[in-house]
Amino acid sequence: MNGAPKEVTLTIDGTQLTVPEGTLLVEAAKRIKTDIPVYCYHPKLGPAGLCRICLVDVEKTPKLQIACNTTVGEGMVVHTYGPKVEDGRRAVLEFLLLNHPLDCPICDKGGECDLQDYSIAYGQGASRLADPKEIKPKAIDLGPTIVLDDERCIVCQRCTRFDEIITLEQSLVVKDRGQRDVIATATGTPYVSMFSGNVTELCPVGALTSKTYRFKSRPWDLNRSLTTCVQCSAGCAINVDERHGEVLRTMSVPGDDAVSEGWLCDRGRYNVGFYSDPRRLTSPLLRRDGEWVQLGWEDAIDLWARTLHEAVDSAGPKSLAALGGGRLTNEEAYLIGHVFRALGCENIDWRTGRQRQASPGPRGGTYADVESAQAIVLVGVPPAQTTPIMSLRIRKAVSQRGARMILVGDYALPIRVAHERVARPRDLASLDLDRYERIAFFWDGIDPRVGSELNEFAEGLAEGRKIFTYVTGETPNARGAEGMGLVPRSGGRDSVGMLAAARDGNLRSLAIFAANPVLHMPGGADSVRGAIENVPFVVTTELFMTPTAERSTLVLPARGPFEKSGHTFDVTGAVRVLRPGVAAPTGTLSDLEILIALASALGVDVPGPAALHRQAALHAPWVARGFGDPALFAEGELKAPRAGAKATGLRLVIAADLFSGGGTVYHDDRLGELRPLATAALSEHTAAVAEVHDGYLVDIVAAEGTLRGLVVRVAPNHVDGTVTILEGLPDAPASAFEGGQTVALANVRAARVPVGVA
Amino acid sequence: MPVSKVLTRGIGQVDLRDLKVYRRRGGYRQWKRVITELQPAEVVDLVSKSNLRGRGGAGFPTGRKWGFLPNNGRPRYMVCNSDEAEPGTFKDRMLIEETPHQVIEGMLIGAYAIGAKQAFIYIRGEFKRGYEVFTKALADARDAGLIGEQLFGTEHGVEITIHRGAGAYICGEETALLNSLEGKRGEPRLKPPFPAIKGLYDEPTVVNNVETLAFLPYILKNGPEWFAQIGPPKSPGLKVVSVSGHVKKPGNFEVALGTTLRKLLALAGGPRDGRKIIAVQPGGGSSACLFEEHLDLSYDFDTMAANGTMLGSGAVVFFDDTTDFVKAAHALVRFFAHESCGQCTPCREGGHWLEVTLERILHGGGLDSDIDMLVAVARQLTGINLCPLGDSIEPFLASVVKRFESQFRGYVRKRAIAV
Ligand SMILES: Cc1cc2nc3c(=O)[nH]c(=O)nc-3n(C[C@H](O)[C@H](O)[C@H](O)COP(=O)(O)O)c2cc1C
Ligand code: SF4
Ligand code: SF4
Ligand code: SF4
Ligand code: FES
Repeated sequence: MNGAPKEVTLTIDGTQLTVPEGTLLVEAAKRIKTDIPVYCYHPKLGPAGLCRICLVDVEKTPKLQIACNTTVGEGMVVHTYGPKVEDGRRAVLEFLLLNHPLDCPICDKGGECDLQDYSIAYGQGASRLADPKEIKPKAIDLGPTIVLDDERCIVCQRCTRFDEIITLEQSLVVKDRGQRDVIATATGTPYVSMFSGNVTELCPVGALTSKTYRFKSRPWDLNRSLTTCVQCSAGCAINVDERHGEVLRTMSVPGDDAVSEGWLCDRGRYNVGFYSDPRRLTSPLLRRDGEWVQLGWEDAIDLWARTLHEAVDSAGPKSLAALGGGRLTNEEAYLIGHVFRALGCENIDWRTGRQRQASPGPRGGTYADVESAQAIVLVGVPPAQTTPIMSLRIRKAVSQRGARMILVGDYALPIRVAHERVARPRDLASLDLDRYERIAFFWDGIDPRVGSELNEFAEGLAEGRKIFTYVTGETPNARGAEGMGLVPRSGGRDSVGMLAAARDGNLRSLAIFAANPVLHMPGGADSVRGAIENVPFVVTTELFMTPTAERSTLVLPARGPFEKSGHTFDVTGAVRVLRPGVAAPTGTLSDLEILIALASALGVDVPGPAALHRQAALHAPWVARGFGDPALFAEGELKAPRAGAKATGLRLVIAADLFSGGGTVYHDDRLGELRPLATAALSEHTAAVAEVHDGYLVDIVAAEGTLRGLVVRVAPNHVDGTVTILEGLPDAPASAFEGGQTVALANVRAARVPVGVA
Repeated sequence: MPVSKVLTRGIGQVDLRDLKVYRRRGGYRQWKRVITELQPAEVVDLVSKSNLRGRGGAGFPTGRKWGFLPNNGRPRYMVCNSDEAEPGTFKDRMLIEETPHQVIEGMLIGAYAIGAKQAFIYIRGEFKRGYEVFTKALADARDAGLIGEQLFGTEHGVEITIHRGAGAYICGEETALLNSLEGKRGEPRLKPPFPAIKGLYDEPTVVNNVETLAFLPYILKNGPEWFAQIGPPKSPGLKVVSVSGHVKKPGNFEVALGTTLRKLLALAGGPRDGRKIIAVQPGGGSSACLFEEHLDLSYDFDTMAANGTMLGSGAVVFFDDTTDFVKAAHALVRFFAHESCGQCTPCREGGHWLEVTLERILHGGGLDSDIDMLVAVARQLTGINLCPLGDSIEPFLASVVKRFESQFRGYVRKRAIAV
C-alpha cells in the first residue's frame, strides 16, 4: 500500500479513458460500457486465458491479444471490433461449436447461455465440420446437487477454479487432455461441497445444471425478485426466480460484494422447495379434545387475545411468555416485544436453540475486516456450519492474504487448510497473537463461559490493535431479535427459565413465533415437549406442523421469508432488505400481520407501517458489551468452564450439517439425498482404535441416555478422540445431549450403509 | 577452422558416467572455481558474454534470461528441463545417459549464478535409463561433496532433486513442467507472470535445457570469447544436432552453428542409395519444412527464422523422394492433437479437427474442399493459443500442403474414382 495507484490513459474504440495501472483490458472496457465477450474470465476468479474469445486488437502488437490477461498501458490503442478481431472471435466460436451437441432445445441454459449469445453476435451460420461430432458422456450424476454434460462443456475451467481458488476444496478437476478432456472429481467420488450450486451459475453453458431445476423452466418465463436469504445470519442477497407461484430456483446477486461476493451456499440456494410444499399450513388450527379443528383467523386471534387477558387477570403478566423471533424480520421481532411488553410480560426471549448471544459487542467487524485480518480465531462451532458465506471470506483471508487460522475446541473443519488448535480460549495465550495488528475472533454464541473467557483474552489484546469480533451463531436473524429487545428485562425469565416455570405450572400462556424449541432447545425433545404440554394455552406461528406446533393449542399458518417484506440484520449488524418474491398460499399471514391483528384485538396501539420501520431502525443492532455479556445470561451460567473431559471414552461434539433442521429441510422434497443421515463422525485414527468402519452402525452412550443407530462416518479433519453427531435432525435429536462430555460407543454392528450418502 | 567438440567428446570411448573418469578429464573443476572464486554476478556476466542461446527450442539468450530474476530476497529455483520429447529430438537423452556429470556441473553453476540453493531435474517419464544414470551420478556427486550444503569449505551450496514426468510432451513447456513438478495437472500457465517472476511455488525460477546447462562448464573453462566466436556472431557456439529420417546413419552430431544442412546430411551418411532428399524439417516437429533448394543454408537460429522456419531444439529430419507427405502430416498433426493439454480452444478443437480430416483423407474419404480447409483451419488456429504447442501444428502441415499439394489431391482423387 504506497499511496494512490498510478493512473494510465489509453484509448478503446476511439474513446479515451484513464484507469488505475494494472487494470485488465476487459475491466477497463466495462468503464466505457464496452462488452468484451468472455467465457473463462470471471472477475472473481481472475484471468485464465483458456477460451480465447476475448481477443482484441492492440495497436503496435502484431498478434491479437486476450483482453482478460492484458493490462492497460499508457497510450495503448485498443480495438474491440473490426475485421481482424471479428475473424479471431469467429474462429474461436467455430472451434467451440465444432463438437458441441447443440441440444439447446432441451438444455436448461437455453436463453441465458453465453455460447448461444456470442454465436448469434459473432459466430458464423454453418459448420465446416464434415465428420461426425465427438461423443462424450451426458447426464452424469456428479453428486447430490449437480448433473454434468461433458458434450456441452467448453472447458473454461470456471468450475474447477472456483473449487480451487474460492472454496479451496480442490475436488473438481479436468481429466484427460486434448479433445478428450472431461470434468470430474479428482477421486471419482461424488462432488460434495456446501457451495456446489455456484458452479452451475459460473458455467457459461449448460454443462452443469442443478438437479432441483433441471427441465423446470425457461429463463424468460421466470419472474425475478431481489431479496435477502434468511436461512442463516450471513445475509446474502439472493434473486428469487418464480413461475406460477412456485419458487423454481434462486440465483446469486453479482453486485453483493459487501456480503456474499456473488456466491450462495447450497442451503440458501436449494432449500426453497418448501414454499410450495403441500404440507404448508393454510388455516389456523385449534386442538380440541386431541383433534385439530380449523378455525377462522378472526376467531383464532380473538381466542388468543381472550386467553392472554384472562391469564393476566387471573395470574398476572408473569404467567405469560413469548419465545422466538430469531427467524423473523426486525419489524416482526420489534412487534413481539411491543405487544407483549404492553401486557406487562417480561418473559421474552429469542433463544430457542443452542445459541445464546447474537451481537458481538463494540468491536464487531465487517466482512471486509475478516479479509484484512492477519490471524483468525474460531471458537466453537466453525462459521462453515452456521454462516457458510462467512467461511468463504475466512478462506479468502487464509489463501490470499496468508492469515493464520486457529481453532478453539473440538470442531472439525470442512476443508484441509493449515491451522492450529487449542482446547480453550485461555490457551490462546501460548500462541504469540500479540505479533499481529489485526485479529478476528469468531464465537458460536453458545456457551457463555467460553464467551467470557474469550472476551477476556481478546480485550487483553485490544490495546494498539484492531480486534474484530463476530458471533456466528445458528439463528438467522438473532442479531435482529436481540437488537429489537427480545431478551428478558427487569426480572423476566429467559427461555430456560420459561420452560422451568412451565414445568412448575407457573405459565398460563406461551407464544412461540417461528421457532422449534422441541427440536433445538438444550435439554432434549422430551423435556421441552413435557414443559410445553404443561402450559394451558400455547400458540405457535409456523409454516408446517413441526414437533413444537404439534404440542401447541393453537397453530397459526405463517409466511416464509420470500413471502414478505421487512428488514434484518446480518451477522455483522448491517441492515438487509427483504422483499416478497413469491405469493404466499391463501390462508396464511405473516407474523407481522398476525401481531398487528393480535394487538388490535388486545387493544394495544401499534405504529403504522412507516412508523414501524422507523422504530425498528432506531433499535439498530443492539450492542452487547462483548462475548459472554453477563447482561444476557442468568446468574450461574457464567461460571468458569468445566474441567477437561475424563481420560477414557470419546469427547462428544455436537455439530450441524448444512441441511440440519426440522422445518424447511424436512418439508422440501427437492432436497432428496441432501438431507443428512444421523451420523457419528470419527477421525481415521479414532475409528481404527474403536474398531469401527465407514458405514457401520453404532450407539452412543452418554450421561443423558443413548442415541441409537448412528451411521459411522470416518472423515478427515476430525479431532482424534472425539465423536461428532449432528443436531437438528428430526429422527435423532441430539439436543438432549451436552457437548464436551465423555461418551462411549456401544452396540457396534457392521450393517453397511452405502458410503457417500451423507 | 575446425572446432573441437566438447559435449560429446569421449562418448563411446570412455565411461563418462563414472565420476572418477569425468573428474580426471577436468570435471567439476569449474564448479569448484565458480563457488570458491566467483561472485554470482560474474558468472552471469561471463555467460552473457558468450552469447549462449537456449538449446531447448526458443533460443533465448541464457544470460539475459537469468537477468530477469527480481532482487526480492525470495528463494529461487533452477530447473533442468530434461523432458525432451520434441519429435525428432534425441540429443538430451544421449547427454543424460552418457555424460550426466557435465549436465549436473552445468546445473550447479547455473544455480549458483542465479542464487538458487535448490535445483530440480524434471526428466521425461520414459527415460528410465536416464533417470537411473542421473540418480546414480547425483548420489556419487553428493558423496564426493559436490552437491549439498557448504561446499568446498564455503557458505554456499546447491541441492538437486530429480523428478520423473509421467509421459506428457506438454510438460516440456516450462510452465507446464513447473505445474507438474508441483504435483498439479501438467498444463501451461498463463503468462505473464513469467517464471522468472513467479515460477516454481510462485518464486523466481529459471528453466534451462539440458544442453544449455551442459555448455556452462566449457564456457567457464575456455572463456566466453571462445564460445562467442564459433559460428555466426548472433547465433554462436556448438550445437548437438539430432539427424534422422531418410539418411543412412542417423544420430547426434555436435557441430558449430552455421554448418550447412547439406553438411549435416553428409555427417549422417547422406541419402539412401538411389534416393534424393526433397525436404527437410530443420527444428523438430514444430518447425516448417524446407526443401532441396535450401540445403546450403547455414544452420543457425537466425537463418532458419529468416527462411520461415526455426532451429528449435535442433532436430533435423530429412525426407527423400519416397515420402508420403499426407501420412507424414497426419502423423505430426495426430501427435500434437494427442499431446494438446486441451486448455485452450483453438489448439484443443482445431488440432483434433485437422487430425480427423487428415485421417478421413488417408482412408479415402477426402473431399476436394478438404485441402483448402486444412490450410485455412491450420491458419485460424495459429497465433491465438495460450502456449506455443497450439502454434506448432500449422508450420509443417502448411508447408507440405503448399509444396506437395498434388499428393494431397491424389488421395482425394482416388476417392473420386472409387465413388
Ligand atoms: C510444447 C513445448 C514442449 C517443449 N519441450 C521442451 C523439452 O522437452 N525440453 C526443453 O528443454 N525445452 C522444451 N520446451 C521449451 C521450454 O519451454 C523452455 O523454453 C526451455 O526449457 C528453456 O530452456 P533454454 O532457455 O535452455 O532453451 C518446450 C516448449 C514447448 C512449447
Ligand atoms: S463444466 Fe461448465 S464451468 Fe466447468 S469447465 Fe465445463 S463449461 Fe466451464
Ligand atoms: S450463507 Fe446463509 S445467507 Fe448466504 S445463502 Fe447460505 S444460508 Fe443463505
Ligand atoms: S496451446 Fe494447446 S497445449 Fe498449449 S495450453 Fe493451449 S491447449 Fe494446452
Ligand atoms: S476470457 Fe480471455 S481467454 Fe477466456
